[in-house]
Formats: sequence, C-alpha cells, structure tokens
Amino acid sequence: MKRIEEQTHYEILEVSPNATVKEIQQAYEHARETFHSDSLAVYSLFSEEEMQKIQASVEEAYRVLMDEALRRSYDQSHSHLIERSPKGKQTEKLVPSSEIKGSLSFTGLSLEIGEMPYRGKSLKQLREKLGIDLKAISSETKINIKTLEWIEEENLDFLPAPVYLKGFLKGYARVLKVDSQKLIEGYLQLYEERKKK
Amino acid sequence: MAGNQQRVIWTIGGGKGGSGKSFITTNIGICLSHLGAQVILIDADLGGANLHTFLGVLPSAPTLSDFIKKRVSHLKDVLIQTGVPNLQLLTGAQDLLDAADAKSVQKRKLLRSIQSLESDYILVDLGGGNTLSVLDFFLMSDGGILVVTPEPTSIENTYRFLKSAFYRRLRQTVSSNSAKALIDEAMDGKNEAGIRNPYELLKEVRRINEDDARTMVEEAETFHPNLILNQVRSKKDIEIGFSIRSACQKYFGIHLHYLGYVVYDQDVGNSIRKRKPLVLENSRSKAAQCVTEIASRLANSHRMRKGM
Repeated sequence: MKRIEEQTHYEILEVSPNATVKEIQQAYEHARETFHSDSLAVYSLFSEEEMQKIQASVEEAYRVLMDEALRRSYDQSHSHLIERSPKGKQTEKLVPSSEIKGSLSFTGLSLEIGEMPYRGKSLKQLREKLGIDLKAISSETKINIKTLEWIEEENLDFLPAPVYLKGFLKGYARVLKVDSQKLIEGYLQLYEERKKK
Repeated sequence: MAGNQQRVIWTIGGGKGGSGKSFITTNIGICLSHLGAQVILIDADLGGANLHTFLGVLPSAPTLSDFIKKRVSHLKDVLIQTGVPNLQLLTGAQDLLDAADAKSVQKRKLLRSIQSLESDYILVDLGGGNTLSVLDFFLMSDGGILVVTPEPTSIENTYRFLKSAFYRRLRQTVSSNSAKALIDEAMDGKNEAGIRNPYELLKEVRRINEDDARTMVEEAETFHPNLILNQVRSKKDIEIGFSIRSACQKYFGIHLHYLGYVVYDQDVGNSIRKRKPLVLENSRSKAAQCVTEIASRLANSHRMRKGM
C-alpha cells in the first residue's frame, strides 16, 4: 500500500525495474488508457483531482524512463526504493541483459516522433528503437515485408494508391502505437509535395 | 484425485445479479471435473439459488438445512449427483447466509463442514449479495473470484463489493478497538473523518496505532482477489480487465489477478434456456473455450501454489 506520491516510476507504470523500452511504451499506453476521464475502470474510484495527480505521475514516469540518461540517474538516486529482485508477485518478464543493451543503444532520438513529420523514415527509427523487426510487424499486420520496406523508404513509386495505402499505414501505426491519423496525414503530404515538383 | 490432499475452496461473488456468476460457476466446475478432479458446487446465492437449473437438476433434493437441522447426519448425504461424473451439488447454503443472526461461530461451523467434504475443488456461488455473511464467506475461502461485465454499473458494484470485503478483512486483522472503529467509519463514504480511500484510512490508523497500521499494509499485500470479465464484445472490452487491475493497484494497493475473460456468445443464452451446461452442450463455442481456459488456469495456479 503506497500512495501515488510514494511510488517509484516503475511502480507507477507497473513495470519491472528491468523493463525494456518496448515494455515501458506499452505500459504507458495502458496507463493512459486506464487513467483517462472516460475510462470505465476508474471514474467511480477516483476524484478529478486524484486522476490529475495520477496522470501527471504517469507522464513524468514515462518521460524519465524513456530517456536513457534520465533513467540511469533516477535509478541511482532511487536505488534504495527500487526492488531489483521482484518477488514474483506480478507477471514480470525478466529480460536478458543483452536485449536491454540492444534496445537502449538507439539513444539518439527521443521515442516520440516529436517535431519530425510522421513519415516512413521516422516510423523506421521508432520501430528500431523499440527493437521490433519488420517480420514481427508483417506477421502482426499481415502486410507483406516488401510493402513495409517501401513504406519506410517512402518509395511512392512502388506503393499502392493512397486509398489502399491508408489501410496499411493504419495497421502499421497500430502495432507501434502511434497516432495513425497523423501518420496518414504526414504520408499524404508526401504525395502533395511530389505533385508540386 | 480426491483423498488426503487439502481441498481448495473458491468463492464466486461480487458485482450484481446477471453478470454470469452461476453460469461461470457451473461451467468451470464441469471443466475441472473433466480434468479428473472431484468437484462440488455449492449454491449460496441469496438473490435466487438456481445452480440446479444450470445443471438441469430438479430442486426437490435434500439441502444443507437438512444437515443443519440434523435430519441427516453427514453433510455428504445431502450432496446431489448431477449426472456429470465427479461433479456434485449442494444447495441451501443461502438459508444460513441469509439469517440475520448468522453468527460467525455458525459461519465457521458451516465452513468447517464444507471443508470436511471429500473433494478436490469446491466452488461456492455467492450471488450478488453484499451482506456481512457473504463478505465473510468470500474472505474465508482460498480464493475469491469476482465476475464483472464491461458495463459501468457492474464495475461500480464490483468496486463497492471489493471495498467492503477489503475493509472487512482489514477490520478482522487489526487488534485495537480504535482502529476497528475507524475502519467502520471509513465504510461510510461520507464519514465525518473525511476518509475517502484506503490510504487516508491507513494514515488515520497510523496516527493512533502504529502496529495496526503495519498489519494493514501486510494484509493488503496478501489480499489477491481474482477477476473474470464476462460478456466481452471487443478487444477494448478485454483491456478493461487490465484497467480494473491497474485501478485496484492504485486505489486499494492490492494485486487483483485477472483470470481471464469470456466472450459474449449467443450460445450461452441458448444453453441456459435448454438447461444444459454450455461446456457439455456446445464445447466448441467461443464462450465454452474461454471458460475451459480459465478453468485450466485455475487448476494450474492451485497446483503451483501447492508446489505440485
């Protein structure tokens, strides 16, 4: 029983201290979905004020844990609070250390696409940062790998007409949990720009 | 399988009528019996005991009160054969839970006699009730299972039940009368002390009795109710189960175990109308497959706990 203020960033997001970037991303999406004013699971338990407090903690936890440097310094300053060997209470997956290193080596960019336009190249960077390979995306979305590569390369000559492309982009966006609407808009802009040339 | 091993008692409750507790109790019981275990179903639903209907058994058979009133000498003599191998039914437990004067001595006696039954699994359908007797029974079992549908009313009622059960459990473990009184007060949502959630309660208790506060924290860590989400219609509905789990973690500081979900399926209604259990009547239906999966998960969790 720990109040929100007393919980570590890991406890706020309900992830293990060894969580990978991908696990943190998923946990964050889940927490945002859960602690949302329209969420069925929370409205009868928490007051508006409490919800805002939780939402702020979730955002702060995500911001820190997704940044390798911030996370490292947080881990150091909170080492007395972070349980390194969870007692198996939750269904935490223990990730081999090599995998952690692998996914953390992409540190050049922030996970959120941020200022960059939502397009193929940013999609690729995000995917690599999350440590997901194209095969996994392909099996999840049932989109063939070649098409996914063209999407990432923004290879408009090979890609199907926008009306079909939209469906593909939507599927891809869903796997990476990015805003599909923004992705479609960003992508369609490419066509506009091309027309002007 | 039955024999010297300790039997496991699961209680199914919470929420409100119509969330599917009896349906789930019956069908999980049958699945467990299919795994080769001895299973007894106990009907303790105050709002209308009808497990016999789900099993297609006539209600005229002997009941628990025949045993309590000493008309029969052994509890096993009032068990009804259900027609499903390894599965027996006990009805009439609601009479005892319903009694306003049901003292804890009496309840403990009932639990003891239930524990003395020869079986591997005992599933108790508590119905949607929220009385102290029902709460005590929910807490006295080896595992409480909440059945919820993804609707605001069902979720609200489940939280209310969970809060009552949680506070009741805390009340049973603290030793000082002042802490007990505080918990009683906190049960009333509009209490004068302004206690709105378990953390504020804990803070107040800590002020008057440090030991009791520590006990409460320990107790919260060992309280692991289970959740089954019934009648889900979409992937988003399934996610609600995880959201409920997270909300319980943040609000109560307890770990709720999401056992699984059962999809909305026309076949369920059909099987109930026919008075034939779904997993027997239509084992390949989607809902039957969900129930089967939950049952095997229950059996496994129990094996793991016992280190088998």
